Amino acid sequence: MEEPTTEQQQKPVESTALPLSASSAEERRKLIALLIGIAGWALPGLGHALQKMWGRALAVFLAVGALVILGAGMRGNLFTSRGEDAFATLGYFADLGSGSFYWIARSMETAGPDVSHSAGDYGTRFLATAGVLNLLAALHAYEAARGRKA
Amino acid sequence: MAAPLNHFQVMTLFALIISLAFGTLGRRRPKERLKYAAWSFALFLLIGIAIGWAMYPFSR
Repeated sequence: MEEPTTEQQQKPVESTALPLSASSAEERRKLIALLIGIAGWALPGLGHALQKMWGRALAVFLAVGALVILGAGMRGNLFTSRGEDAFATLGYFADLGSGSFYWIARSMETAGPDVSHSAGDYGTRFLATAGVLNLLAALHAYEAARGRKA
Repeated sequence: MAAPLNHFQVMTLFALIISLAFGTLGRRRPKERLKYAAWSFALFLLIGIAIGWAMYPFSR
């Protein structure tokens, strides 16, 4: 049987080394994208700011901030983790979507929510929308970091 | 709030904020962003008013 040449011996090493390296880079990219997504959730606009998408970062920060300030100003209902039913739990998850702004809204609502008037009811929607919009923005930042069309 | 807003004003404010965010996130070029935001804003208002009128017979 013919002995393999030096070139033939090296070939398999080359063919496995390259995909491994590419896979490692992909894993790293996934991790960074995940961290960017989490940063975007924690502070609205940060996920885009980390990728130097300044316009989008500013738009997300201002939109979520405006919704939270208006919602809390209207004394909307900010749900807590001790929800009494499924809707309250869903509302809590929606509100929590605004990340650190959830606690800003809580600190703003010193007198508590007042949904006996229509303004309070509007405020509840504003707060929930702020959370859902921020989740959408965080997902957008994650997708952009993964290199997908965004 | 100091001056309470009526339903239409709140809806318009909501539509404006969301449309601007959608436009900025959804498109890359400034002109396209503005166009998308304006279209989204118009649809928010039109559909909101249409649903309001559709519910009018059952409101009392």
